[in-house]
Amino acid sequence: MKAGVAISLAGHAALLIWSVWSFAVKPLEAKSVESVPVDVISEKDFSQITAGQKNAKPAETPPKPLVEKVAEKNKVEDPAPKPTEKKEVVAAQEAPTPPPQPKQDAKPDPKPEKKEPDQIAEALKKEKAKPQPVEKKQPIPVPPKFDPMKIAALLNKQEPKRVAAAGDQVNHNVSLGLSSGTASTLSQSELDALRARLAQLWNPPAGAKNPEQLVVLVRIQLTRDGKLAAPPVVLTSGTNPLFVAARDSAIRAIFRGQPYDMLRQETYETWKDVEVTFDPRQMFGG
Amino acid sequence: MNPADIAQSVLLAASSDVSLFALFLQAGWIVKAVMLGLVVCSVWVWAIAVDKIILYSRTKKAMDRFEQAFWSGQSLEELYRSLSSRPTHSMAALFVAAMREWKRSFEGQTRSFAGLQMRIEKVMDVTIAREIERLERRLLVLATVGSAGPFVGLFGTVWGIMTAFQSIAASKNTSLAVVAPGIAEALFATAIGLIAAIPATIFYNKFTSEVNKQAQRLEGFADEFAAILSRQIDERA
Repeated sequence: MKAGVAISLAGHAALLIWSVWSFAVKPLEAKSVESVPVDVISEKDFSQITAGQKNAKPAETPPKPLVEKVAEKNKVEDPAPKPTEKKEVVAAQEAPTPPPQPKQDAKPDPKPEKKEPDQIAEALKKEKAKPQPVEKKQPIPVPPKFDPMKIAALLNKQEPKRVAAAGDQVNHNVSLGLSSGTASTLSQSELDALRARLAQLWNPPAGAKNPEQLVVLVRIQLTRDGKLAAPPVVLTSGTNPLFVAARDSAIRAIFRGQPYDMLRQETYETWKDVEVTFDPRQMFGG
Repeated sequence: MNPADIAQSVLLAASSDVSLFALFLQAGWIVKAVMLGLVVCSVWVWAIAVDKIILYSRTKKAMDRFEQAFWSGQSLEELYRSLSSRPTHSMAALFVAAMREWKRSFEGQTRSFAGLQMRIEKVMDVTIAREIERLERRLLVLATVGSAGPFVGLFGTVWGIMTAFQSIAASKNTSLAVVAPGIAEALFATAIGLIAAIPATIFYNKFTSEVNKQAQRLEGFADEFAAILSRQIDERA
């Protein structure tokens, strides 16, 4: 029995030493996951998302003029009245408007065309003599022009408030993350509201065989108060016998949906002429 | 919770030792006692196993040698004289016991043949029982460890996890780094229990079959020898 106990003890000791040596704890290697930055944006931000350009220079001037700076001047000149008309802020918005992009491209082109009836050599000469405006690489924001007729507009009659409110216009300078300013576009929520109302009112023929033939594209022109400015124009046609029913129902829906008061006045330019697709497969798209 | 706090707690936990000894030392005293008991059981099981393996192989060899000598045509008297001088086991012990009884019946003044057969068989039965008892000794320990070891280990685990959860609740921190060491330490108890129980069960099964084989061999020899002696008695009577 002694031999057995000795052998067993020796075996256990060996096992213990081996296990201590071999069961060294290795920490699990957790792969670090790249973090994804998440921003919470409002509906309006979402509808005004623009494709950014990575190689664009960061905007040098702040994209929107602050109202309060203009207001400070006003405090000295006209302290008494406190009108709260927003329209007077126009002057502030006017300041950073850059020269519109198309002008640059347009200028050099039409001139040689006009001179085509003349001799070509002459035109070439003139063109050589002329300084090339195309060399300009970037639109440089033009300093605000002083217009004596609009001097009244420079006076801000608003009470100075600490609001970083900006006008409806966004500057069009190419900037990091802002390839083209698309402010004051019809926001997604407004468009969705318009669609939702039309979807409620439209009754597409149920159980039609080829629903893709029942897609009705209608152009709607609206007045400022959200009413139809002109009869809706149907832009698609179809051979499906049910198409007529779908089209008529769509037009009825457009008439019955008036007034479209969910559309904001500020964005009138964008919704005065809209095309709406009535698609029975997804009710509405586009 | 503050991310910085989490990071710090993870760092603290990572720095704490999770090796086998650390697991043992961190455990509560009940879990420690369970672990120690199971380790002692394991040592004991293997000691018995080694002992039994040696014993059975020796017994088997001794039986083979004795059978060879017995059936070699050698005079039984001589064989008895050579064997009775020293203590013997198994088959030799059986033979010596039967021969002693035989001799006593013949060497006395009064020859008592009546009942000699029965006496020899009785003596041989007793010897077989003693031999089997010797072979079977401590096998019950193996059976007990084999069946109870996992339960004991499980008890240690349950107890360890219970206390681990209590301390987690007290620390009000549920990050894995806090939970893991307690559970690992508790599971260690079950591991030791299984380590002790599995060899015990295997050895128990192997050894019981071995004992049965050897007992049958002894019985067979006893019957054969009884038959030889019975023939002798009938011839002499």
